Amino acid sequence: MLAEGIRAHRWWIVAAAVGFAVLLTAPAYLTPFQVRVGQLFLFSAGLGVAWTILGGFAGYWSFGHTAFIGLGAFVAGAFELHVPLGSPVATMVAGTALGSLACAAVSAVIAYPILRLRGIYFAIAMLGVSQVFAELTNNVDAFKGTMGINMPNAVPASMEPQTFFYYVFVAATALTLGVAFWVKVSRLGYGLVSIREDEDTARMLGVPTERYKIWAFVLSATLTGLLGIVYAHALGYITTGSVYRTDFSLNMIVYALLGGIGTIVGPVLGSALMVWLTQVVLGRLLDVHMFITGALLVAIVLLAPHGLVGFARKLLRRGAGGGA
Amino acid sequence: MSLILQTILDGLVLGGLYSLAAVGFSLIFGVMNVVNLTHGVIVLIGAYLAYAFWHGLGVDPLLAIPLVMAALFAFGYVYQRGLIQLAVDRSSLLASMLVTFGVALMLRNVLVLVFSPDFKSVTPSYAFTVFFLGPVTIDLVRLSALGASLVLLCVLAGVLRWTAVGRVIRATAQQDLAARLCGVDVRHVYGITFGVSAAFAGASGAIIGIVVPFSPPDEALWTINAFVVVTLGGVGSPSGALLGGLLLGLISTLTSQLIGPQFPNAMMFLILVVMLLLRPSGLLGNAFSGSR
Repeated sequence: MLAEGIRAHRWWIVAAAVGFAVLLTAPAYLTPFQVRVGQLFLFSAGLGVAWTILGGFAGYWSFGHTAFIGLGAFVAGAFELHVPLGSPVATMVAGTALGSLACAAVSAVIAYPILRLRGIYFAIAMLGVSQVFAELTNNVDAFKGTMGINMPNAVPASMEPQTFFYYVFVAATALTLGVAFWVKVSRLGYGLVSIREDEDTARMLGVPTERYKIWAFVLSATLTGLLGIVYAHALGYITTGSVYRTDFSLNMIVYALLGGIGTIVGPVLGSALMVWLTQVVLGRLLDVHMFITGALLVAIVLLAPHGLVGFARKLLRRGAGGGA
Repeated sequence: MSLILQTILDGLVLGGLYSLAAVGFSLIFGVMNVVNLTHGVIVLIGAYLAYAFWHGLGVDPLLAIPLVMAALFAFGYVYQRGLIQLAVDRSSLLASMLVTFGVALMLRNVLVLVFSPDFKSVTPSYAFTVFFLGPVTIDLVRLSALGASLVLLCVLAGVLRWTAVGRVIRATAQQDLAARLCGVDVRHVYGITFGVSAAFAGASGAIIGIVVPFSPPDEALWTINAFVVVTLGGVGSPSGALLGGLLLGLISTLTSQLIGPQFPNAMMFLILVVMLLLRPSGLLGNAFSGSR
């Protein structure tokens, strides 16, 4: 099925390859500030796509995915703090692997009970999970949530830190996109879409809904954790407040919704637009920042309820003379 | 022993406030299935309006409640008819939740701009009067806050139970199509429900203002509290909100007294998640088909 999927989506793959080629060469001619904005874009796009594996494909909207950003970051941070390996890069790699594994394990444990909930109840239960994780991180001594953890510095001496983390983000986001694409064109992806459209019917027709949902949840959580760990390293110093952020959870949804829910390109476009607007255009208007973000959100839902992708499709259809 | 009694009393007072703050959220959720993330910010607007009346005109916050309620009723009605209904029609219920989130961001920003991000508090003349009831103490402010909450909850319950408007709201909550067939203007009812919800949120805000200091970022907390109360008690009824609110108040004071002052939030969310898993329709169980 993968080969068919690749053939059907070959132009998207070419576009993604060109996009990544541009991203890889970008730091050569961007200012340090622009490279930081680029990092934020890659992080946001990755989060949006990781969220989409569960929220977009299966229709299970999580309102607490920041739980895995925080969990991954603190497991990696605590490990790297207490068990430093020979070289800083090896320590970072080991911490990243362990943090991602922790996200996979924890999400696999909570997946079964929590995925029995649907719709708004699932969304809020995830919000609750993220709050519980954050409070526990604050109060369990090994994690030092309130005091914070200094992440070991793994930046090679020959590189600027923002450029180094930019490339790490490119890798993590590429991996996320790859996994999401693989899910989309595989049996799992079709199963997830059938769950989104009508879970009971899908189940009746023999789709192993329970197993598919758990897979989507674990993949989504692990990738979110991975991106969170990279983010934590890029920050250099983390506290509960800087990684367990409700606005991360909500932003993932906003990116997906803005771009077009259920698509992979949607969250990428959505995050590009939002990061550009909030960091570049509104960077100087900090007083009314929240107001404009809110107004934008309202405008999107009312004017382009299927996101930029849906809007583009509508334009294309009209352009092709299909009529309304 | 008196420590436990005092903790329970404090929990009940806090719970009364939680109940009143959540009842409007519960009503909207029950009648139109909309999760109103603007709810917390409306609670705060009530607090800030009471603060403005008290500071500007010297009106006692408890006497300002009717004014606050009238203003917010109008706001709620217009908000629903002008924006929420539009979002529900054009996309989906989940998307309407995003609209309410966007509006919450906007209003929070406005509150910061108008009233500054600092903590504010309302301290009427009776703020420091304290009673001794045997081994426990209670200050007049908290007592009047609890009293006002209970009175308002009873008023709402009475309106829903015995008036024509209340009957129509309940009918729409049960089945909007059937209500429409019987000649109910469902959209008007939705607007009224939203108005009533905003009015009670504002009233709770005015009361909260005299009990605890408040600042614009608190809005998220009040929204989440409302959700927990509704999950504990059950959707759509004042009695459910009362039960859920009192339980939440007891849980948070007992947890901080018996386990540790840093744990009430963790406990609250743990109970939220467990409740959702075991009994998503709440203790008083107005079951919702959407939950499973």
